[in-house]
Amino acid sequence: MRPAGGAGRGRRELRTGLLWTAPWWLGFLFFLAVPMGMSLYISFCDYPLLQPPVFIGTANYAALAGDPVFGKVLVNTLVFAALAIPLGTVLAILLAVLLNQNLPGQGLFRTCLFVPTVVPLVGAALVWLWLLNPEYGLINAALRPLAPLASGANELIAALGGGRRLSWLSELAAGPQWLSSPHWAMAALVLISLWGVGSAVVIYLAGLQEIPVDLYEAAMLDGASAARRFWHVTLPGLSPVILFNVITGLIGTWQIFALPYVLMRGEQGPGRSTYFYTMYLFDNAFRYLKMGYASAMAWIQLLIMLLLTGLVFWVGRRTVHYRGG
Amino acid sequence: MNVRGLIVTLVLGLPAGGLLLFGPRGQYDAPPGRVVVRYWEKWTGAEGATMARLVERFNRTVGAERNIWVQYIAVSNIEQRTLIATAGGDPPDIAGLYDYIVPQYADQGALRPLEEEARAAGIALDALRPIWLEIGRYRGTLYALPSTPYTIALYYNRTLLRAAGLDPDRPPATLAELSEYARRLTRTETYGLPGGGTGTRIVQAGFTPSTAMLGWWPWVWPCFFDGRLWDGQRFTLDTPAGRAAVRWLADLRRAQGPERMLSFEGTAGAIESAQNPFLAGQVAMVFQGPWLTNWIARYAPELDYGVAPFPSVTAERRHAFASTDVLVIPSSARHPREAMTFLAFVLRQDVLEELCREHNKLSPFREPLPDFYARHPNPHIRVFEELAASPYVFGYPSMPTWLRVMDESKQLLNLVLRDPDQADAALEAAQRKADAIVREYEAMAARRRGAGR
Repeated sequence: MRPAGGAGRGRRELRTGLLWTAPWWLGFLFFLAVPMGMSLYISFCDYPLLQPPVFIGTANYAALAGDPVFGKVLVNTLVFAALAIPLGTVLAILLAVLLNQNLPGQGLFRTCLFVPTVVPLVGAALVWLWLLNPEYGLINAALRPLAPLASGANELIAALGGGRRLSWLSELAAGPQWLSSPHWAMAALVLISLWGVGSAVVIYLAGLQEIPVDLYEAAMLDGASAARRFWHVTLPGLSPVILFNVITGLIGTWQIFALPYVLMRGEQGPGRSTYFYTMYLFDNAFRYLKMGYASAMAWIQLLIMLLLTGLVFWVGRRTVHYRGG
Repeated sequence: MNVRGLIVTLVLGLPAGGLLLFGPRGQYDAPPGRVVVRYWEKWTGAEGATMARLVERFNRTVGAERNIWVQYIAVSNIEQRTLIATAGGDPPDIAGLYDYIVPQYADQGALRPLEEEARAAGIALDALRPIWLEIGRYRGTLYALPSTPYTIALYYNRTLLRAAGLDPDRPPATLAELSEYARRLTRTETYGLPGGGTGTRIVQAGFTPSTAMLGWWPWVWPCFFDGRLWDGQRFTLDTPAGRAAVRWLADLRRAQGPERMLSFEGTAGAIESAQNPFLAGQVAMVFQGPWLTNWIARYAPELDYGVAPFPSVTAERRHAFASTDVLVIPSSARHPREAMTFLAFVLRQDVLEELCREHNKLSPFREPLPDFYARHPNPHIRVFEELAASPYVFGYPSMPTWLRVMDESKQLLNLVLRDPDQADAALEAAQRKADAIVREYEAMAARRRGAGR
């Protein structure tokens, strides 16, 4: 039985609790829940921002289905995510494993890897513009020895395939025009995205140090090679961290905006090859004044991200190992 | 709540409440009793300082007499900010926008018609060159007044012309001549490949319409073939002028080699630096505005260059592209009358010409004051002025869907420059997209009218 006055005290505690958490729930309500509700409503409207919205049902969603530019940015974003996340993950894990070795200068290497993540994007983009310069850039200079190989491979393909050459291979042979070729612009962006791998490396490093040493010792006693220890101890031990990084990476790649915007000087790229989902969303909202259309895009983006995140979690249920779980 | 909780609440809450109630309220120091007119402008640096000085002069003189205080606020991304502020019901009283945005905002009812009020405020609209008023009109109504206008001309490197055996005092007068000059001014060099063999690369281009190399107006070319892109109902790329322009671009590209040119264009340095392709001697002729003279003076003062009207398809009909920064009053501005008083001050010939001169721009007046030319920092300013007076001068297409259509025009140019053999197909595809954009906008507008908005 509750003591007398318990209800009153409970109400008082509730009031106090609500008061102290007010900054969060008021913020949530007014800056997230209400705008999201409005955005959902606007996605069913024609809303050019400067006039009140007019309800048009599902017309925005139907128009998106037939919009070739929407299809293009969707594919671009998917391709970018499909390339940048796995490459970034593999590279970050390998670098973290290397940095986890007890070697002299370890701190210096860790710092060097992390520094690019604190370099302002605009500065980094300017450096990359020079590195990717098709005539005088270091990357094409490094690739130049591959030119005869690429050329030879293309000739072989032409001989086998009735004279048809692969244009991207021809471009590789001539030195890729990184930012002005639709075949190479995406590759350039993926390459640059790897520049910021340092922050993931730091998280993986922390994860590696959480893996119990006795697991490695037991594996060594059982005669496991370094590769088998990596595969059977390191990777399972890191899997919760990998899951976290993949999900945050997924969200990050779906929101990519600043990097292509700065690098392509606000342009959509050759053949719209570096035009991404959020860039098109921004253009629709604030340049074309199609806020309803942009809101519909935002909701589709949210659904896609939920779907992909759910998929990653579903895969994670089978592959992620939690200690004690 | 216990005593400790109360103390914590007071310690945290009182300063917060105090800041809210008595905290800073902005950085202007308007004398009491004056109506504060908020003026958003995109200019910063020296350009912004000039306007700030004029604002200060207004506040000291006319503003003091009329009880008005103009607050000059430099705003980045001014189009988006003005848009959001207007949508939020709290726009500035005056905004300094770009001219191409005027039809879009005017069509949404976001701008205040200015003609009657401007005349009533004593602004001598008839003293302005017709093109600057035409640019500010949308469907016959004046929504924007010119602030710092400009035209675009041909800058050419006299040293490179001389080196190519061309007369530096005779720049190309027709597009056919421009192509011929471009061919003669394009230079290549041979370089060795690893493992033997050689390759060639372009080290100097005569002319390129690429956006990477100062070709900032990718849609403009049909206009130099006697075409006009917007007839009030349709954005027309597939006219004889549009087709001729695309063929000209494709031929120019083929003559230079599309792949080599793409590689070359990838080497362009930052525009506002010594690596600017024209300043660095990479490109011999460019389609640019009066500001290029500033950059030459700053980064390449020894450059021997000339400025001439950009060639057209015939030497008789010299087409010229004109554009201007504009001043508008949003329709929901709080102090439109006071804003117009300020605009009347800025549009005074002595004041506006001071602004234009310091921005290295043209005078928008039919007859500039003698002092304007005498003190103008750009020795070629008369060339730009003559272009503004040309009967063949044109501005941005006055269409509310301009930004979308311009993006398609940009894609068209990119496709032609990358693969000139696909030029005709690319033009047809761009026309279909432009038609679809206009159709969609009209359907939306009709639906809106049907909804009584």
